[in-house]
Amino acid sequence: MSVTGSDLLGILAVGIVSVTALIAMLAGVFLKNSARLVMWLGLAGMAGAFAAAWGTYPSAGTAFGGMILAGGYASFFGMLILCAGILTFLLASDYLRKEGVEYPEFYVMVLFAVSGMMLMSAAADLIIVFLGLEIMSVSLYVLAGFMRRREKSIEASLKYFLLGAFATGFLLYGIALIYGTMGTTDLAGIALRFASAPPPSLFWVGAGLLLGGFAFKVGAVPFHMWVPDVYEGSPTPVSGIMSTGGKAAAFAAFLLVFVKSLGGGGAKVQTLLAIFAALSMVTGAVIAIAQKNLKRMLAYSSIAHAGYMLTGLAAANQLGESGVLYYLVAYTFMNIGTFGVISLIEQAEEKRLEFSDYAGLGLRQPFLGIVMSIFLFSLAGIPPLAGFFGKYYVFAAAVDAHMTWLAIVGVLASVVSVYYYLRVVVFMYFHEGPEGAEVISVPLLGSVALLLSAAGVVGIGVFPSSILSLTGWFF
Amino acid sequence: MDFVDIIFVVFALIVVVSAFIVVFSRSIIRSAFSLLFTFFGVAGLYVLLNADFLAVTQVLIYVGGILILILFGVMLTTNVVSVEIKTGTLQTVPAAVIVAVLSGTIAGIFWFTEWHTAPAREGPTTKALGTLFMTDYLLPFEIASILLLVALIGAAMIARHERGTEGGR
Amino acid sequence: MVLLDYVPIFIMVSLAGIFGLVLSKASEIFGPKKPNPEKLSTYESGMQPIRTARERFSVKFYLVAMLFILFDVEIVFLYPWAAVVRELRLFGFIEMLIFVAVLLVGYVYILKKGALRWD
Repeated sequence: MSVTGSDLLGILAVGIVSVTALIAMLAGVFLKNSARLVMWLGLAGMAGAFAAAWGTYPSAGTAFGGMILAGGYASFFGMLILCAGILTFLLASDYLRKEGVEYPEFYVMVLFAVSGMMLMSAAADLIIVFLGLEIMSVSLYVLAGFMRRREKSIEASLKYFLLGAFATGFLLYGIALIYGTMGTTDLAGIALRFASAPPPSLFWVGAGLLLGGFAFKVGAVPFHMWVPDVYEGSPTPVSGIMSTGGKAAAFAAFLLVFVKSLGGGGAKVQTLLAIFAALSMVTGAVIAIAQKNLKRMLAYSSIAHAGYMLTGLAAANQLGESGVLYYLVAYTFMNIGTFGVISLIEQAEEKRLEFSDYAGLGLRQPFLGIVMSIFLFSLAGIPPLAGFFGKYYVFAAAVDAHMTWLAIVGVLASVVSVYYYLRVVVFMYFHEGPEGAEVISVPLLGSVALLLSAAGVVGIGVFPSSILSLTGWFF
Repeated sequence: MDFVDIIFVVFALIVVVSAFIVVFSRSIIRSAFSLLFTFFGVAGLYVLLNADFLAVTQVLIYVGGILILILFGVMLTTNVVSVEIKTGTLQTVPAAVIVAVLSGTIAGIFWFTEWHTAPAREGPTTKALGTLFMTDYLLPFEIASILLLVALIGAAMIARHERGTEGGR
Repeated sequence: MVLLDYVPIFIMVSLAGIFGLVLSKASEIFGPKKPNPEKLSTYESGMQPIRTARERFSVKFYLVAMLFILFDVEIVFLYPWAAVVRELRLFGFIEMLIFVAVLLVGYVYILKKGALRWD
């Protein structure tokens, strides 16, 4: 066997990101004060990878003897994750300087995390799922504890690591049992065997463990315990990419295993997913109400959003699956944007993270007020923004799949969630700010990132078909 | 019961008993050293399964590396001899129920599954593994190097000294 | 039977175990025991211990152990490759070169960052 050009073309995008990370690492140690340079290098690399993913999008297939997906689905997720990475870079540089931790390693680790996410979302073999997941997770463990002097950051890192390692163990055990019953880790091979004969019950134990591992990574109830503390303690841009890119990668692999390979997994798996979805939506929405800290509120909201996305998976029909992909795109833009605004308002030592710190912000700083409102309205699911259509697709899919109860739970949870999203808007526009509140200067890169995210939220909200036409033929 | 079965039982006993000591011992040093026997026993089980390379890896990495890491980890704590590692016992009952149900299910299914046993392959496996790494599993092999690299930087990052704003010294 | 191949290892491990046990027990049983306070002090004819020996280790030990494991794993990957490198010729060589090059970047990183420097 040898490696052909089409093999290399298939992993071109993720290869570019990895090589960029290696070069950035070397630049980081050999050049002094190179954080800025490494950031631009990483941005250029990710832009190149984006172009590569875009270019290979039409030629869907597999590479390296069926190990990894190339083009199509992989390119779609590659572009989505790269968007998250680019936005994170733009938002991070000023945040890191403000916190006094502007080291080139931050960007290197984000690049590695991005390459892990891309691998995971392109996996055609369970081994690649595992390796991608580990690269992503190890990078994120380190990034969560990047601010070593902040107790909460360390706590976030440790909690994420301990629980994440546990979840990885579950996942690996699941993969081992599936390999034991199916004789292969190749997803296409598993699909063939699954379709030809009913698998033994041991297979379902393996699939259940795998499901637990994925549910942990997407932060769905009952595997959500880590989410609030980790999102709250991590550096804000890291929370942003963790909740968007990480979630997208985990959902991508989730879909590849349970939908593409196992065809939805049958009624029992779908019911289980529906229960997870309902619990996540309700738990996330209800607990978020009680939060005072904005990052913590977004963490619970993220659990709820994982629930909405799981609704699409539980429905296991074509509408649900493209709905999940659409939702992931929408969620990426609106959530990174929200975390971006928070990272600008936030001051060193974890100050200015409460609702009350946003009082009068909308009048004082019209730009931040407007983009934040766009993101929050979208998160709440108000038309014509992207968040609304995401919810619409997954709920419609649930109704189609005769899970009307799930759609009703989802709509009720969304109604509850409007309260805490709009509460921020109310604080921004209808509360008096403190006397002489300082006007935060919005850095250039940060405002570019916010503008891009806001444009994404509005753009794919007004033209949902732009995403649906990209994803329609995947399933 | 033939000879191989007896060896299996011996190794299995080593694993289970030492694992019990790991969990229930009061001194974490004792736990850590007991883990040595667990790792060794598992290596023995690999040998019985004709996975010779895996057995060597187990000894090399777990006994030779991970265990040292764990011992250093133990020594990083201030109280070495008698650390109360049990946390609050509020959740004993739910934990016991969950563990019982999970292990019961898995054990039951293991018991009732009809296992397909592949014919035992004789001889060393190292060459076959090498060929597979270089052909079918080429991509995972290269990705593994990235994973190792990430762990490397991660370890250096987490354990870095921070003085002033100068990084990583 | 393949297990026959492991008999030398078994003999060696048993001998090592017996040797260690017998020696430590023998000195315990046959050694003269005449304890006095001077003899029981930490350094029988030297300095007084000034504080407890049970101090926290520097995190550097941990880092070194961690780096050791990572390169240990690398060697585990090298070994099966070495068994077949002749048959794979240049192709296999290049593959391993990429693998090692990636880790070499990591090595350069920790070297430059001073993670291997002790003071």
